[in-house]
Amino acid sequence: MGMVHGHLLQIHPETELVAFVDRDTGLAAHLASQGLRAKLYPSLEAAYGETAPDALFVCTPTHTHLAVVRAALVRPVHLFVEKPVATTLADAEAILDLATQAGVMHAAGYVYGHLPVVAAAREVLAAGVLGEVLRFTAHAYVSEVFGEKRGWFFQKELAGGGVVANMASHLLFILGWFFGPIRRVVASTRSHASAVEDSAQVLLTFTNGVTGLLDTSWSVPGTQMLDYGLTVDGRGGTLVLGRDRILLHLLSAAGGYEAGWNEIHASSLPADAAFDVSPHIGGEAFYRQLTTFVRACQTRTQPFSSLTEALNTQRMIDGIYTSAASGQPVDAA
Amino acid sequence: MNLVLELRPPESRFYGSWRERLETVAKLRRPDEVHALCEQAYILGVRTIVAVLDDTIREALLTFQRWRDVAVWAVVPNMFAFIRDLTDLGMVGAARSRFLRLTPAAMTRTTLGALGALGAIRRRDFVAGALLVADMEMAALRGLRVTRLFLHPQLTEIALAGGLPTLFTELATRAARQGIDAGIVTHNPVRAATVLGADLARFPAVIAPCNPLGYKMFPGRDACEALFRSDPGRFFADEVTAGGSVAVEKALGHVQGLGLAGAVLDVRAVERAYQVGGVGTAIPA
Repeated sequence: MGMVHGHLLQIHPETELVAFVDRDTGLAAHLASQGLRAKLYPSLEAAYGETAPDALFVCTPTHTHLAVVRAALVRPVHLFVEKPVATTLADAEAILDLATQAGVMHAAGYVYGHLPVVAAAREVLAAGVLGEVLRFTAHAYVSEVFGEKRGWFFQKELAGGGVVANMASHLLFILGWFFGPIRRVVASTRSHASAVEDSAQVLLTFTNGVTGLLDTSWSVPGTQMLDYGLTVDGRGGTLVLGRDRILLHLLSAAGGYEAGWNEIHASSLPADAAFDVSPHIGGEAFYRQLTTFVRACQTRTQPFSSLTEALNTQRMIDGIYTSAASGQPVDAA
Repeated sequence: MNLVLELRPPESRFYGSWRERLETVAKLRRPDEVHALCEQAYILGVRTIVAVLDDTIREALLTFQRWRDVAVWAVVPNMFAFIRDLTDLGMVGAARSRFLRLTPAAMTRTTLGALGALGAIRRRDFVAGALLVADMEMAALRGLRVTRLFLHPQLTEIALAGGLPTLFTELATRAARQGIDAGIVTHNPVRAATVLGADLARFPAVIAPCNPLGYKMFPGRDACEALFRSDPGRFFADEVTAGGSVAVEKALGHVQGLGLAGAVLDVRAVERAYQVGGVGTAIPA
């Protein structure tokens, strides 16, 4: 992910990429070969000695995030932390505390929240078009794990978990953004291929009373990219959120939408990204994510994708693992 | 107007629902179904197929090219398969698995070609690595009549962001050695024109989104259309239906109005045009 962010920071008209930091200094030639022109430093200290960045993107393995953030905040830099923010809830809270004490702007890398249709769905819900929201069903599937896997990404202590922490967390973030703070989690997880959980079924209850089910797995065939979907039922109708469109069925006209079926397609939403760095995975959401963070830094207003919102996601992740281990419901603190 | 059918592993597409995904993937995992789709496209006027190739698509195209005179434009490497292999097998393992698919003659050619780039490969040079993987996949396409070579968009957009014309010009050089030419498939054609400058002329086909809604046209519809109008014969329109929001006939009329060289139809567009228009009537020539 570091290289994707690096390219966007280099190409975005409002940002300048001034440094990379990685212990593996052998990476310098690889970065340069991709056209990434910023110098690679072996430590934050070395980078700070020669550059004065306004913001830092933390794209290291998840288990290092807290240490990196602590080291980064020896000077006030705005923080973008890749998802999941931490391997534990305690670390995520500590990261948010550090950022808050430093008085910096902050964001988490839940990129799907920046897709135009996701933002449009949130607007529909926030405008009360469905009336009182009652329940939802959601899925997040990808074809990734069908046998033993190696590397830090498949070790719970390094990655924070399996499909829940690393794939479904995108959808958990969206659910939190749509419905607010989490209140209770009941979950079951299963490892059938790797050393972390490969699938999970989750019942979520939010403090506003909305309840719903999430089914997730990275061991289903048929989808090379994350396939997610969300169906929300309200007293006034149903919203179905897909990758490129929203289907809205209303019992009566509301919010400018007609009774019956309405479609909001991505092609009808504002096109406000200037570059697509990854057409098949994330698309223009990466560019929009960066623009959102830039605006936050410029206006000194925390973005919707802040570490505060990401802490809600982390509470859901933590609740899922705790509930699955204990077999009991878990109430958010 | 030239019509081009776009094929890629069905698992790498987005669908309206999980059920639609399962049905489509199950169907297009069968070479005979891919063959039938190609035949529908042929009846509609398609004479070129641009494809990210996996075993199913390769097998289908091998038999289809025996049956029909169609050109295949290969998009290499199959990045999703490569990324999957990277996580499972590591860089060396991913390269090795591709190498082992080659014929002994292709293995020799690939080895000789890689010898000159050993230093760069050891330094994890992006251009050298990308071209090596592309070379191996290209060498594995034995039997197919490939007339044009493209880099996978996931590589293309990174190279364009990094301002790396070398990756493209080197691909064009390698393609020329094989008696074919190279093209570019991108969501960022304006950036491509900036990065490549006069070298854009080395690429007779640039595939980029073009539709009346500006969907997926980066940095914007006006800038893209200005570029298209400056050299319309070079550009092939992709995303013509704007994700299914525009009827195929209207979409192709828009492309025709801009005078572009052709249009790329995805699986859904072909199926819809075939069902709606009937044999040979749906798409303007």
